[in-house]
Amino acid sequence: MSSAIAEPVTTVLPKSTLDTMILWRTLSVLLLFGSWEIAGRIPISIAFPTFLETMDAFFTLIFDGRMFYAYAETLKPLIVGVGISAGFGISIGIGMGLNRTIQWLSEPIFIVMQAAPMAALIPLVTFVYGIGLAAKVCAVVILAAPIIVLNSYKAVTNANTSLIQMCASFQGSRMQQIIRVIIPDASPMIFAGLRLGVAAGFIGVILAELLITPTGVGDLITYHRSVAEYNYMYAAVFSIMLFAAVTVGLLEKAEIAFFRPERKQKKGG
Amino acid sequence: MFIQSKFKLLCASAAIALGVAMSSGAVKAAEMGSMHVAFGDIPGADMLGFMIAVKRAEARGVKVKISFLQSEDLASQAIVSGQADIGVGTPYALIQKVKAPIRMFYQLSKLAFFPIVNSEKFKGWKDLDGQPMYTHARGSGTEAIMNLMATKNNIKYSSMSYVPGSAVRAGAMLQGRIDATIVDAERRTLLMREGKGKFALLPLPKIDASDEALYANADFMTKNEEAINILLEELVLTWREINKNPGYVSQARTQYNLLPDMPESDVAGIDPYYEESVETKIFDGNGGGEKAVMGDFEFYGFAGTIQGDTSKLTVDQFWNLGPLNKALDKLGRI
Repeated sequence: MSSAIAEPVTTVLPKSTLDTMILWRTLSVLLLFGSWEIAGRIPISIAFPTFLETMDAFFTLIFDGRMFYAYAETLKPLIVGVGISAGFGISIGIGMGLNRTIQWLSEPIFIVMQAAPMAALIPLVTFVYGIGLAAKVCAVVILAAPIIVLNSYKAVTNANTSLIQMCASFQGSRMQQIIRVIIPDASPMIFAGLRLGVAAGFIGVILAELLITPTGVGDLITYHRSVAEYNYMYAAVFSIMLFAAVTVGLLEKAEIAFFRPERKQKKGG
Repeated sequence: MFIQSKFKLLCASAAIALGVAMSSGAVKAAEMGSMHVAFGDIPGADMLGFMIAVKRAEARGVKVKISFLQSEDLASQAIVSGQADIGVGTPYALIQKVKAPIRMFYQLSKLAFFPIVNSEKFKGWKDLDGQPMYTHARGSGTEAIMNLMATKNNIKYSSMSYVPGSAVRAGAMLQGRIDATIVDAERRTLLMREGKGKFALLPLPKIDASDEALYANADFMTKNEEAINILLEELVLTWREINKNPGYVSQARTQYNLLPDMPESDVAGIDPYYEESVETKIFDGNGGGEKAVMGDFEFYGFAGTIQGDTSKLTVDQFWNLGPLNKALDKLGRI
């Protein structure tokens, strides 16, 4: 008996194509680091270190523990901020998708927040929240929350109508529609919004550490810049880019594994 | 008729003479050179002294453009890359660590900071043992001063937090969020006035180090010797005038229409700021010179900004005192 639900198309990439992809991606990274090394050796500026000098500083910061201490500081406002944004953002976003009054009330605010250069507001945050953890958490929230809210809202709005109608035809209550159909169907997009929100949160926390008070990775950047240790400054910048890329990449993997199995199969595992 | 034509001839001659005078003036101005000064801060009362000297140098034919950048680091990068000619700061680390081809040539002001505490909680340095401390930034002069005093008093702070800006730290003191910090002269007066006896200053030995100095690309200094000399002469004269009469800054601000958009409250603070600065002797009438450099070596060596054995360092590695000495030879030393 054939299934009523269509199976996702499985197009596993052949091994040769996979090898070619890995080769080109490796070359892309090598090209970037090679260009960096050459630019540093010219040098394009006396404040621009070579890639190897930066890597030397990067591993020095890791092995002497300064990098871990810095990340322990940076992650505090990031985790709290993303946690608040996720809880508040998903709830508001789902509410907006399900209720017109909430939608009309909230949509303009979050659209403006997403479109406006919110980073410009970060210095103003200090007037309300001072210079401590609260101000940095606020900076993360104002950058991460609009993305999470709007993605959650759009996810709920675009939930599969056929599934909702099917639930209704089976006498499912409104609550059952929401819990069993709308939210599960919207969850891939909600999670994608969360991933983008985390990426925005990284921007928020680093801006806060550079513009409010220098702590964590922001402190590594400002301190090493002020004492002209540019290889350490670039190592700190490199580390945050790497950390953000790995974190967002892992979230994408989780998204594919848990919410988008069809993409997992298309990618060939 | 004859008188009319004679009058016309006179007018024409006067116009030609004026034109020749103006064009020769323009040539002279061009001959004196031009310079682009980059400040690493927003314009404020503390920059007025320098701006007055600039106006006086302009009157002698030096063309000066001033830019205000977001931070001292950006300003120093602008100097190194040749996008600006003269910067303000103490770029010892930049010169020592990355061999930046820049040299300092005039001490604008000495470090003048004041450790201040909530007197209801602390009476002296010893009471700060095990207490949190708040300074401007890691590696800053304020941190170095507080660390120096901790070493001298054999105490250890429980933590060192960085809160950029004396105004922000003073605000935190007034709100009771922090109980010990270090602020500049302007905020010291503010805290002592607004605190109504709640705050007390802690004793500090004399620290003879530069807070702000002028520096330029070494190549620029060689090629623009005449312009630099004029600027230095006017700086020395302006600094001596301010030391004699701090009110000169307000008068000259009006005369040259400097920072016309300054808020009234800030304008009211100009005279007290310069009076306090003169009182604390932060403006050297001889532009600092070798004595200032030695003070810098000692202090910035302790702060970690300058690394290695400072006794082995030479003035020429960081400063070019030739133009200053030339100006002082002309104007006389005090």
